[in-house]
Amino acid sequence: MKKELKFVVNGQTYDLWIEPKTVLVQVLRDELGLKGTKRSCDSGSCCACTVLLNGKAVKSCSILALQANGKEILTVEGLANGTQLHPIQEAFLDNWAFQCGFCTSGQMMAAKGLLDENPDPAREEIQLAMDGHLCRCTGYNMINEAIQDAAKRLQTQEEQGGAK
Amino acid sequence: MKNIMNNFEYFAPGSLEEALKLLSQYGEDECKIIAGGQSLIILLKQGLITPQYVIDIKGLSELDSISGNEKEGLKIGALTTHRAIEKSPLMQNAFCILAEMEQNVSSVETRNWGTIGGNIAHGDPSGDPAPVMLVLNAKYKLAGAKGERLVEAEDFTSGYFETDIGHDELLTEIQIPAPPPRTGAKFTKFSQLQGDYAIASAAVSMTLDADKKTCADIRIAMGSVAPAPMRAKKAEYLLRGKVITDDLLVEAGRMASEEASPTSDAEISEQYKRELVGTLVTRVGKEAFERAAMA
Amino acid sequence: MKEYSIIGKPTRNVDGVAKVTGEAVYAFDMTLPNMLYGKLLRSPHPHAKIISIDTSEAEKLSGVKAIITGKDTPGGKWGLWRRFPELCDQTALAMDKVRFIGEPVAAVAAVTEEIAHEALDLIAVEYEPLPAVFEPMEAIKDDAPLVHDDFENNINTTRHIEWGNVDEAFKNADYVREDRFSLSSQHHAPMEVHNALASYDKGSKRLTVWASTQSPYFLQLGLADALKMREGDIRVIKPHVGGGYGGKNSTMPDSVNAALLSMKTGRPVKIVFNREEEFTTTEHRTAMDIAIKIGLKKDGTLVAKEVKLITDGGAYTGLGATTLYLAGTFVTFPYKTPNYRYDGVRTYTNKMWSSSMRGFGSVPAVYAAEIQLDRAANDLGIDPLEIRRINAMTPGYSASGEYTVESCGILECIDKMGKRVKEKWNDLGEDEGIGFASFAYMSGGIFNWIDTPYAFSGAMVKVNIDGTVELFTQASDIGQGHNTVSVMICAEELGIGMEDIRLHPADTATTLADLGAWGSRETLMNGNAVRAAAAEIKKMLVAVARMKLGENIVYDLVAKNKRIYLELRPERGFSYYELVKDAIKQNDGEPLIGIGHYTPHNKGMISPAYGMGIQAVRAKVDRETGLIEMKDVLVVHDCGQPINPPAVRGQVEGSTQMGLGYGLCENMPTDNGLILNPSFVDYKLIRSRDMPTIELMEVPTYEPEGPFGAKEAAEATTSPGAPALANAVYHAVGAEFDSNVLKPEKVLNAIRAKEQKGKA
Repeated sequence: MKKELKFVVNGQTYDLWIEPKTVLVQVLRDELGLKGTKRSCDSGSCCACTVLLNGKAVKSCSILALQANGKEILTVEGLANGTQLHPIQEAFLDNWAFQCGFCTSGQMMAAKGLLDENPDPAREEIQLAMDGHLCRCTGYNMINEAIQDAAKRLQTQEEQGGAK
Repeated sequence: MKNIMNNFEYFAPGSLEEALKLLSQYGEDECKIIAGGQSLIILLKQGLITPQYVIDIKGLSELDSISGNEKEGLKIGALTTHRAIEKSPLMQNAFCILAEMEQNVSSVETRNWGTIGGNIAHGDPSGDPAPVMLVLNAKYKLAGAKGERLVEAEDFTSGYFETDIGHDELLTEIQIPAPPPRTGAKFTKFSQLQGDYAIASAAVSMTLDADKKTCADIRIAMGSVAPAPMRAKKAEYLLRGKVITDDLLVEAGRMASEEASPTSDAEISEQYKRELVGTLVTRVGKEAFERAAMA
Repeated sequence: MKEYSIIGKPTRNVDGVAKVTGEAVYAFDMTLPNMLYGKLLRSPHPHAKIISIDTSEAEKLSGVKAIITGKDTPGGKWGLWRRFPELCDQTALAMDKVRFIGEPVAAVAAVTEEIAHEALDLIAVEYEPLPAVFEPMEAIKDDAPLVHDDFENNINTTRHIEWGNVDEAFKNADYVREDRFSLSSQHHAPMEVHNALASYDKGSKRLTVWASTQSPYFLQLGLADALKMREGDIRVIKPHVGGGYGGKNSTMPDSVNAALLSMKTGRPVKIVFNREEEFTTTEHRTAMDIAIKIGLKKDGTLVAKEVKLITDGGAYTGLGATTLYLAGTFVTFPYKTPNYRYDGVRTYTNKMWSSSMRGFGSVPAVYAAEIQLDRAANDLGIDPLEIRRINAMTPGYSASGEYTVESCGILECIDKMGKRVKEKWNDLGEDEGIGFASFAYMSGGIFNWIDTPYAFSGAMVKVNIDGTVELFTQASDIGQGHNTVSVMICAEELGIGMEDIRLHPADTATTLADLGAWGSRETLMNGNAVRAAAAEIKKMLVAVARMKLGENIVYDLVAKNKRIYLELRPERGFSYYELVKDAIKQNDGEPLIGIGHYTPHNKGMISPAYGMGIQAVRAKVDRETGLIEMKDVLVVHDCGQPINPPAVRGQVEGSTQMGLGYGLCENMPTDNGLILNPSFVDYKLIRSRDMPTIELMEVPTYEPEGPFGAKEAAEATTSPGAPALANAVYHAVGAEFDSNVLKPEKVLNAIRAKEQKGKA
């Protein structure tokens, strides 16, 4: 029996009826067409599907969509402000922090979760925060560097009074 | 592996009372509780469990809190996330073992959503929190239609994924007593890659006499080396009342390793796990001792 | 070194904005209206006769639109070794028997994935289990069960390579040693699983397939062979690909069965493997046993090498036959080997077949060679870097016509490594060690087992009236950044900006054939084709400019900064945009189209050029638990002229991660043919916290055969991680290994064995 799911995704309110067994990533990808969020492992162990739920990084494959009822979700599609990329996106571009790009959405969302909590993380703190994320292309170091670069960009933006 | 879930009916009760009422309505095999679901959803996807009813307690904010202090002990609501424990300012001194343990539980993503109660109630022998709860002498509060009861952490898990929770009961709170003065505690888990499931884990909580050399009391726990997390009681007995030395800790590790009952798997032998857990006990024993001496 | 406008400058990924905004579309993300979902029923037996398949119950299930079994297929066989029909052994669905656990026996198309799954459970297959064989040494025995009836002793292919006089050289050597190594398999574990979407047009009787592939051309050929259709009636489009690493070269049952089901139902059909299928039924790195013997002079000079190896091929061929070729070649690199003999055998076994993976063939071979070289150096009292220096190839080195190495910076790499190690790692602690390993790899293969009649790579440049460029190439960007490289090369050649160029990649209907992304071939081969196509356009524009200038033919013109001008008098010239307009007008409105292609000629048997270098790993070993901590990695690297430095670094980092994973923790244990760890929980991959820092130092050379001097960049760095790590552990605690994957228990046992030996 379908149940109602009311939640906010990237600032937009949605009101849907879904099967209770649906996990969050299925709603995002298949119902809302937000395919930037990826699925990869089927076992809750790669973090490719990471989104922010009320500001915290979570695995959208391991949450029943109904558990997101009344919550706010941010996906990769909500990261940029129109055509203005988010500093994390800029930093990932400039630091060549992705290759195939399949894990990138999850990596960037986790990076946002981290930087919102800790605006100036040390390398070890970044590694700890990103350790759930599998990446088969980059070897991780360039992702760590991008996140440090993003932290600097966000600080500069803050100092200049720019919007978050 | 199918990776496709069966249908079920879903309830999101608004209170503990309501949750218990629902729970008492359905039989053990047809009903499952979901909290953070970080283990449950994988089991559902793999079709290893196929409940008809799923009761979602994640929203019960009354079970999501940490209170107390070093003098009175801690009370941790079962729905407190791993991450909240990791980051809580209450995890000071002897309780810092909890934050240290939590920091290495799976990923930030899992810790942000997964709950301590869900982890413990799952009864996974390779879970990180359980051995720590054993050495902290924790008690688990279970609520059921007939009322509440307290269970010693040590008596809670009886085997692989087997716990003392009755099918109409919920784990609601973890109570951790105040540590005696001059107590230090340390946990470590061993895996080839950090953040991975433990091949073996060990936790030690040691209380010293006023001389800060003699072990007044000790609790040693081991994970992943038996169907349930276990105490190393012979090793504890060896150390209790003795002046702690490196040699004595090595001997305690050796005894602990004899007490363990690991099994071989596809890649790791029983002998290796056994020896490993002894090494871990010696190492964390030393760190717990040093912490106790500083406390 | 020549100063370029674009080449060699750090450049953002041309697909980058799409990838960081989530807009990049992968085959995994695609759906079409009216699309069905396909699923494959797979064999639970490693080797069994199919007695019967009953699909009647499944057909009754509401929502099921088609079910096919082997007899419903056209029966076409295919493989990548198309020049040798007997090695084209793959089929869409098992015909009469299954040869490995997971081999597909039936395919279902249904309106939802769930119904397709449900239908699989309703198909009844009766099997008669047959004796199975799992180990190569067992497989070649006379009484072993045959995986394929017409391959005696289960020998799939063999390869012999020889030059010089090996026996004589061993006789004259001062020091001879022989070692044996056993190398396990490794999975590519791409983040995007294999998947394909097929759409058959009933009207035109043509097929379009979107797939996660490394080579649209290979897939087009594979589909044509499998479906017994004309290549030209099949259009393959490669969207963005979520990682390949050698695992997406072969045409697999996902695309073939999606096509068959689409042809049967007249509706688009998509098949997506789940992660377990990805691990158990897609290709993996070839496991092999290697016996390697070397003869040296007292001073460390290598005089002879003899290598014998046998590989665990699994049930079909894939690219596995090429493994023999490459292992037999790269086991000699990057050292002068005056006398060499090699014999390789690939066996069929009842397991999922092994094939290409990053550093294909060279990874296990280099493991054996580099560990052995360290042991020899130790015995002879020679420094590990010195023995590598003594034997290093020099520019122009030729191994008896097999291969010739033109640009060759290995000596500089070794010298630079020596200096840097002294400088950076002069503080080794207790139980810490440093291990070295050299590496080299090809810039695309010369061999043509695929039997293409086309040039190895083609490219087409069309220039619009406003000077904007449409660049058409079939080269595959699977994450390595080749799309960016193509645009950079085109822009550099035409002297225009990258923003002037729109790339149309990897669509077999609109682009000229290219063999795809494997063997590090795209930069050199497709880069040459793109450059040649752009050069055609440049020639047309230069002709117009020359006419307008009225200059003598001896004066050279260059294209740079969006102008074409006299090299010696830069003020004399014209805007590129103006020249494009003039050229089109002058030529009666004919569009400007440039076509370029590249095929290697007179470059030996292997590759037109070789990238190379040396890596060092610093590691610490816990003597009580056997745990290895990887502290830091140094890489000195000759990739010719780096086209896009951050992309090169990214490839080095990623290859190193994969190489260290091969040496440390990635393996695929099996039990009677069943892979025991088919998930990211149980297949252990290095993650952020365990990844050491890497310092990369480039030694630029100029490769005459490559575009702007470029050649292979970084695939070779998959090879040194595992042996360098093992060498580091050896130098730290004396433990020796004859196989990769250094899990703590194995390391601890090796430490104990060493201690026992010390006592004895």
